[in-house]
Amino acid sequence: MKMVMEGSHAVSHGVLLSRVEVIAAYPITPQTHIVERLSELCASGQLKAKFLKVESEHSAMASCIGASAVGARAFTATSSQGIALMHELLHWASGARLPIVMANVSRALGAPWNIWCDQIDSLSQRDTGWLQFYCESSQEALDTMIQAFKISEKISLPSMVVLDAFYLSHTFEPVDIPDQERVDRFLPPFEPKFRLDPKDAKSFSSLTAPDTFTEMRYRIQQAMESAKSVILEVEREFHKIFGRSYGLVEAYRCEEAELVVVTSGTVTSTCREVIDQYRHEGKRIGLLKIRTFRPFPAEAIRENLRGVPKIAVIDRNLSFGMGGIFAEELRSVLCNEPERPLVFSYVAGLGGRDITQNTLSNVIEYSLEAEQPREDTLWPDLRI
Amino acid sequence: MMPEERINMKRVLPDEEYMISGHLACSGCGATLAMRYTLKAIGERVIIVLPASCWSMIAGVFPYSSLRVPVYHVAFETAASTATGVKAGLEMKGDRTTTVLAWAGDGGTFDIGLQALSGAAERNEDFIYVCYDNEAYMNTGIQRSSATPLLTWTTTTPFQQTKAEAKKDIMEIMAAHRIPYAATASIAFPEDLFHKMKKAKEIKGFRFVHILSSCPTGWRVPSQLSIKVSRLAVLTRIFPLYEIENGERYFINLKPEFRSVKEYLELQGRFSHLTEEEMEVIQMNVEKNWQRLLKKAEV
Amino acid sequence: MKEEKKITFKGLKDIPPLSISMGTTLWNKTGTWRYLKPIYSSKTPPCNEACPAGNDIEAMMVLVKEGKFREAWKLIKEENPFPGVCGRVCFHPCESSCNRKEYDEALSIQAIERFVADSHFKIDQEKPVGYLKPKERVAIIGSGPAGLTCAYHLVRMGYGVTVFESYSSPGGILRIGIPEYRLPRSILDREISEIESLGVEIRTNSQIGKDVSFDDLKAFQAIFIAVGAHQSRRLGVEGEGLEGVMSGLEFLRRVKEKEKISIGKRVVVIGGGNVAVDVARSAWRLGAKVQMVCLESSEEMPAFFEEVSETEAEGIEIIPSAMPIRITQERGRLKKVDFIKVKLAEPKSDGSLNPLPIPKTEFTLKADSVITAIGEVPDLSFLPQEVPIEKGFIKTDEMGFVHPKGYFAGGDVINPHHTVAGAIGSGKRAALAIHGYFRGEWQKGKLRIALVGEKGTLSLKKYFHPPEGEANPPVIHFHEINLDYFEHQDRVRIRKIPVENRKGGFKEIYSSLDQEEALKEAARCFNCGVCNGCDTCWVYCPDLAVKKKDNHYEIDYDYCKGCGICFEECPRSAIILKEEGR
Repeated sequence: MKMVMEGSHAVSHGVLLSRVEVIAAYPITPQTHIVERLSELCASGQLKAKFLKVESEHSAMASCIGASAVGARAFTATSSQGIALMHELLHWASGARLPIVMANVSRALGAPWNIWCDQIDSLSQRDTGWLQFYCESSQEALDTMIQAFKISEKISLPSMVVLDAFYLSHTFEPVDIPDQERVDRFLPPFEPKFRLDPKDAKSFSSLTAPDTFTEMRYRIQQAMESAKSVILEVEREFHKIFGRSYGLVEAYRCEEAELVVVTSGTVTSTCREVIDQYRHEGKRIGLLKIRTFRPFPAEAIRENLRGVPKIAVIDRNLSFGMGGIFAEELRSVLCNEPERPLVFSYVAGLGGRDITQNTLSNVIEYSLEAEQPREDTLWPDLRI
Repeated sequence: MMPEERINMKRVLPDEEYMISGHLACSGCGATLAMRYTLKAIGERVIIVLPASCWSMIAGVFPYSSLRVPVYHVAFETAASTATGVKAGLEMKGDRTTTVLAWAGDGGTFDIGLQALSGAAERNEDFIYVCYDNEAYMNTGIQRSSATPLLTWTTTTPFQQTKAEAKKDIMEIMAAHRIPYAATASIAFPEDLFHKMKKAKEIKGFRFVHILSSCPTGWRVPSQLSIKVSRLAVLTRIFPLYEIENGERYFINLKPEFRSVKEYLELQGRFSHLTEEEMEVIQMNVEKNWQRLLKKAEV
Repeated sequence: MKEEKKITFKGLKDIPPLSISMGTTLWNKTGTWRYLKPIYSSKTPPCNEACPAGNDIEAMMVLVKEGKFREAWKLIKEENPFPGVCGRVCFHPCESSCNRKEYDEALSIQAIERFVADSHFKIDQEKPVGYLKPKERVAIIGSGPAGLTCAYHLVRMGYGVTVFESYSSPGGILRIGIPEYRLPRSILDREISEIESLGVEIRTNSQIGKDVSFDDLKAFQAIFIAVGAHQSRRLGVEGEGLEGVMSGLEFLRRVKEKEKISIGKRVVVIGGGNVAVDVARSAWRLGAKVQMVCLESSEEMPAFFEEVSETEAEGIEIIPSAMPIRITQERGRLKKVDFIKVKLAEPKSDGSLNPLPIPKTEFTLKADSVITAIGEVPDLSFLPQEVPIEKGFIKTDEMGFVHPKGYFAGGDVINPHHTVAGAIGSGKRAALAIHGYFRGEWQKGKLRIALVGEKGTLSLKKYFHPPEGEANPPVIHFHEINLDYFEHQDRVRIRKIPVENRKGGFKEIYSSLDQEEALKEAARCFNCGVCNGCDTCWVYCPDLAVKKKDNHYEIDYDYCKGCGICFEECPRSAIILKEEGR
């Protein structure tokens, strides 16, 4: 059934369709529309779930951990300061191998206060062992929500589905809402491998000494590695039933490209327009959308960028003292390749500044022209 | 033992044990007994949510457990919030009989865990929260917490500058939340603790039990006096035994005859520096608090 | 779920993907932490030490508290054949040493012993030792408490016993000396018949030296001399031989035989001991106005305190610190006795009292009869030369042994301090000594096993079934009781006949306790030094190392960390802490 809806509400519907059982959330702009719609769905009985209106995001994640541990499908949504507050518990959730799914509406972190789009909040959690999916559209947000539960429950690691603040969360798009019966076929009920069971006197997460800790961490890494193929497998299944899939990365018009622009999130849509224009003018420019940030799809990236002379990475985030995070990660997976592109790293759009077609054109022009980037990190929209 | 029980001299606690020997508690640890009696009352059908505290160690290190019931170790300040989630999850799974027991120390309750505690209490979440109180951050080396009494020595309130603040009144905080049931208990009065836990088990909503758990290591008391010092805390009225229903009705379980706090303070190395004046101050405060409690129970 | 193994991991394959427990902490034997070791070690309750008869009072209290009256009776009878007697006439040194008296009031031990005895259980007594029908036979001279107790224990050990009693019925002082209102005949008869039913032969009207010669006793392999002290000391004053003057023992015997005695309306009793009191109170019951005069001051009077208070309650005047000078008659009838006030100085070299008359303090009492009770001594005229005698009593060693020919002695014949319990105790001691003498076990060291405390009290049960651990552990004092475990409770009040209803009859004054009273009173017992299964140690062990076993406990030393809580909390100090051996 097609409906025009906000990105936030698409997420809410994803939660509804996934038959989530426990929701614990704390309000923060611009996540609020997600949880408001979920409250209505729970209150009306449409969604049979317990909605815990906890007193902070930290408690929200703790409650999700508790619920997931006993085998209930758990969800939360947050943003910015909220996900930062949860930070220690994000580590806890993955260490405890709990398939919690969270929607993060990516917003800048204070100080100073800034409520608009920035990827730093979710990217700051990149070491926590959570899968990360960066969505471009409301449809993708809804579909990824449903897929995330299946993927997480298969590999026993939590996932976050990231939406650009306001650009995605508060804009309206037509969304094809799948019907419950087909979602049920795709996503069976949650069966945890290790359940906190009142009938089974086990102790979870007690002090673990150096002699066994490394192996447990290794297992998480193994699970992350396996996630790459699991994601694709799940997508194939999803495609069979619903006719849609998104991949770990998406290469758009990259055939024999001189330059590939690498993006994530809603700026991808803007970029598609720009690429089309360049291609129309005969310039061989391509676009690589990175959808899955964790696990970082090293093989897919290497494959797609083999033989490409230059890439221009658009980072809507900044790791102080280093630079754009996507660029950093790309450089690290490409550094040993015999044929590797020159990396132009651009930081733009921080704190909700629009990345216009103009900005993108400037980026492309400079990247094509320059033999070497004049600096490790370039600031195309900096007001001098 | 409560007076009526003393005359009979025979104990009434059931034989079944839910704890296992070989655990790592210090010799004479009061917190161990608090858990032992609690589990005797609550039984097998329980999930313990256990944040960072001495009990994180006592419960056993991987791959061993010293408890015959499931235990979920959680981050320091998340006892109440995780327990909220566990209970919600169980109910969604159709299990309404398993008791969820949050088992936190004084640090994880009075200080870092206070937010989660307040949130869960305000929402009247349906689980039992037990704070076993040894009056300092014992597991990390006897540092002061807001549960440390006035003028006590700890490693962060050394003899030159002992604790200048009174012990936080957590029971009043819980009463202000109007939770269905709050109670204090002591390991020196096991039958009383047992009955309170049994009572709590049958109540729906948020239940809070504050157990004074002696710590020979941190209180600087010979281990054999662990029970005696716990008993004196109650009998000198420093730690009265009482219950609060719905934040309004107070019941004092034991009204002991006057006994000087000196008897209690003298046994402990953490009070060895106290002057006569300081002990009088403590005595005065005890009297004041006791009178206040008596008044509340009159209503 | 006894999982004691330590878990080892070889590699990735056996390490789980998350930290989840796979076993218990039982493999971790925390007993290695210990440097002090708690050990269950019974101490001696002060009541047990104080009882001359050697009753296991503390154990009796435990049984009575649990309503096991049958077992309590059996327990007493193992040590003492006369609970009904002792429960009435004993001076209860147990109560004087009871630790509870420093907390509120002493246990009413005597009343409980009486309650158990009055329950009339007829049970087969078990033989304490496994000897099969030994051949030896023992002669016992005197069927008083000492003689009969010795007979009782010997026959239970399997020996042949014949008791020679000079009087027409057995019992000794119990039969002829203690008034009916203190010890009803029926009680004495019952307990003596219980002894006879075990196979003891009692020959009455068989006085040694008159009806039977001492030589005839050669047929026996050992002789126990327990003739008691039935000769009254003489006053040594003018007029002692007049009609109307008689000895206390004579008076009491005749009263007990229900003979008609004319004592007139005014009786003066001379003496301050128990016999004098018995005489005075008996005379009062016969309708006389009685006055008692004694050398001792009120505080020095040797009679039992309760007896003295009852005497005064019955309206008998006691005049202390006075000595008779002469007894005079008028017209062939006794008229009066003259006295002088005295003060007692240090006793004479032979141990007798040394009164110093106070000048100008003479006074006179009118009297129709005078009854003297100033001390009893034994008649030793029948004894052969070889029996050593000192100060008028038979000389024995601390075991009652007199002579290698196999002579033993006990009771009032050896001891100027006359108590029934003491006599019973000496009878038991002699039985053990004789047994040791026959079996060649007779060394002083062996008898030490039977000792209870430091006052010479013996336990037969301990002799034949030595306990594990220390044989004679120290006595528990009040400060070793953990008072946090007790509440003040009043002592039971024993019912007695009011004074106005006592005159004219010899009915027993005190009533027995009823069952509820006995249960309640027994529950007051601290059980000093002996584990009574109160579970305190089990409750307070943080390491679950105290395990329940039967009605008691066992410590699992694999896990005990030696914290000492059990030792500290035990309400009755039944646990000791010992330094761990290196």
